[in-house]
Amino acid sequence: MFARIKKSVLTVVAPDIPALPDTSGTTRAHNRSLPDKFTYARPAFLQLLTYDELKASADHNVRPIIVPRDISILPWSTGYAECVNSGKSEWNEDQAAFCRQVLTHPSKQHPDLPYTYFGIFDGHAGYGAALAASHQFHHILHEKLVDVIDMLMPRQDTGPPKPDILPSPLAFQRSVSKDELIIGALESAFIEMDALLAEDRDKYRNAGGCTALVALFILGKMFVSNAGDSRSVLCQRMSNEVLKSHTSNISSNVPNSKDNSDSHESKWEDKKHMHIFPIPFSHDHTPDTERPRLMSTAKLNPSLMGGEYVAMEYAKRPAVKDLGQRILYRQGTMKGWAYKTLTRDDLKMPIVIGEGKRSRLMGTIGVTRGFGDHDLRAIGSGLPIKPFLSPHPEVNYRDLTKVISIPEENNEDGDYGILIMATDGLWDVIDTETVSKTVFTTLSKYPTEKHRYTMVAQELVAKSRGRINESGHWRLADSKAAATVDDISVIVIPVYQYYKEYLEWERKCKEDLEKKKSMPSPASFETSVTTNGTVSGDEEDERAEIAGDGYDADGETATTTTPCDTISSTTNDEEEGKATAEKEVTSTDPSSGT
Amino acid sequence: MSYAYLFKYIIIGDTGVGKSCLLLQFTDKRFQPVHDLTIGVEFGARMITIDGKQIKLQIWDTAGQEAFRSITRSYYRGAAGALLVYDITRRETFNHLTTWLEDARQHSNSNMVIMLIGNKSDLDSRREVKKEEGEAFAREHGLVFMETSARTAANVEEAFINTAKEIYEKIQEGVFDINNEANGIKIGQQHSPTNPSLPGAGNQGGSTSSGCC
Repeated sequence: MFARIKKSVLTVVAPDIPALPDTSGTTRAHNRSLPDKFTYARPAFLQLLTYDELKASADHNVRPIIVPRDISILPWSTGYAECVNSGKSEWNEDQAAFCRQVLTHPSKQHPDLPYTYFGIFDGHAGYGAALAASHQFHHILHEKLVDVIDMLMPRQDTGPPKPDILPSPLAFQRSVSKDELIIGALESAFIEMDALLAEDRDKYRNAGGCTALVALFILGKMFVSNAGDSRSVLCQRMSNEVLKSHTSNISSNVPNSKDNSDSHESKWEDKKHMHIFPIPFSHDHTPDTERPRLMSTAKLNPSLMGGEYVAMEYAKRPAVKDLGQRILYRQGTMKGWAYKTLTRDDLKMPIVIGEGKRSRLMGTIGVTRGFGDHDLRAIGSGLPIKPFLSPHPEVNYRDLTKVISIPEENNEDGDYGILIMATDGLWDVIDTETVSKTVFTTLSKYPTEKHRYTMVAQELVAKSRGRINESGHWRLADSKAAATVDDISVIVIPVYQYYKEYLEWERKCKEDLEKKKSMPSPASFETSVTTNGTVSGDEEDERAEIAGDGYDADGETATTTTPCDTISSTTNDEEEGKATAEKEVTSTDPSSGT
Repeated sequence: MSYAYLFKYIIIGDTGVGKSCLLLQFTDKRFQPVHDLTIGVEFGARMITIDGKQIKLQIWDTAGQEAFRSITRSYYRGAAGALLVYDITRRETFNHLTTWLEDARQHSNSNMVIMLIGNKSDLDSRREVKKEEGEAFAREHGLVFMETSARTAANVEEAFINTAKEIYEKIQEGVFDINNEANGIKIGQQHSPTNPSLPGAGNQGGSTSSGCC
């Protein structure tokens, strides 16, 4: 409370000086004099160019909803809106970024491979980590994708046939699909971004930490990777017919895809027998959801707890009077409960306390994955928390070429879905079902407008921000419930718009190949399917999906005629790929850190 | 640049009456004939001088479309001045003034200074609303009135500055509680008699941007 008063006084007295982000102050002393790595700003695509605009956008009393001034900057009419917190920190500590890039093979023998990335980063204990991630993550990701460029490139082999090497059944050798390479690029990029923040500690002011939610659109697929408690949901609206065929045929490794039927039950039917339902594309990483991982880490490294905590969960809060009695407990990755005799050790603070969004790790932090927090220490014990945190993302993806859409229905946005990426400011007060409904209700209000997805983003932010009442509390508009006082950021991606772009690119690739074929090229060879039973690249790709979601692979090797989606999977290539993959993990070149 | 006061303004009125153009003319001294639809809110700022004091105007330019109305309503809060704009060549924008005024009165603080502006005075040949009608409406509702042209810049400066003058007078009269930020007024460092040495003031990085007196 005092901090808040202090802040409001500060803004009155010295409104032109950016105040420091809110930090616990436990570890700050040593680097107080260090500079910021990046000057605080809002995402570049908002074009809030002057300090005055920045300041006005951070008005905690009004909490203006900011949308891009020029909506054509974001691809595919993607919508974006944000809103500052109600005063818990001077600045909006969320950040967002997007990047359109092209992977160009050095040999120039392949068509350029475009991709698009969106990222959303929710900062805590300062704005530095989120700001750095929004500036740097896409450079790191690009490097990681370039590392596997050979394997990702659409093939149109014109070179000499590769030597036929018989794969030895004895040799340890795994076939790696494109999907796995892209997932690996995302995973390793997350880890490197975190490492970069660690390196920067000596050079720049404490950056705090941030969550990271990233969507990557490449090769007709959508990959969503998440570390933290931002959330991504694909909002779909489908007719009965499409829905039926989808449940048997959808190709994705969406979390809980087994439970998709559940979400269908909670679907919402609007006119024309359309079903509206959300498909989660990420899971929150909180002390509660990550309890098994945190408890195992603690159990395996008791020194991390410094004798201050206990790595157990109890069915009932242990009390001194219960010493010597039996108590139900679980530890490590246990799912069930067992009895133990209560000892003095059990009276220590559990490493994870609380439930759901209110759960805390070491009584301090409520999010357990993301970037940064390298200097974060537990309240009370002062023990380092970082060993328990992880930058490792959960990656989910969907192959958009497998989506069923009936052209006559004109329901592409519903069939392909609208991908909502948002920080917890939204999800804390609105559930995914309501978000899905809001998406399609808003879209139907603006059937043709170019800014319709911006309107969705704005509507979602407006809903979760609510309105301020007489006594200065933010309340939801349609109920008396508390609205969020947190920063809110929402990205609204019309997935079909990407898919259209992908089809166009694929068509061009084919055309180019036809052109090349028609030119006399003695070395060209038609098929990339290797001998001796080694599968083609296409089948390999699908293998990963089968594992993910029981996609019914009917072995369509005919797709080898689609040059853009064919990779040659000779043993040579694979070895190359592996070597690169290994290099990736150890590569710490921070050259992207400008 | 340091200032004695910061006043927050809001510009409201139907879509297409020239709100964004008025702002651009005032802050950038230029006219943009084709302006994209404003979605949400845009900000502008300019320093003016009144009574020898530097006053910073922070101007919120809002979306005029009906669909944005509920969001716009939340921006009245914390505004010290409002420019209510209509288009003299479109009668309906004048007819909607009552609705706008009701909205403004309901959602703003009662001391907010409202300036009524009939814009596009350069298009006199296409005029649908007489100047006298604007004056009458303003008189009836206790507003200050002015016709402007964002294209020729006629009266644009005056509109913003006269509003500021009125706010300034109200401050002098003690009408505004200037310590309550929700009234749309902030005291700048030129004043700052209170609390010059806050704990944590040393935290302000290397920023020396705002001149200390």
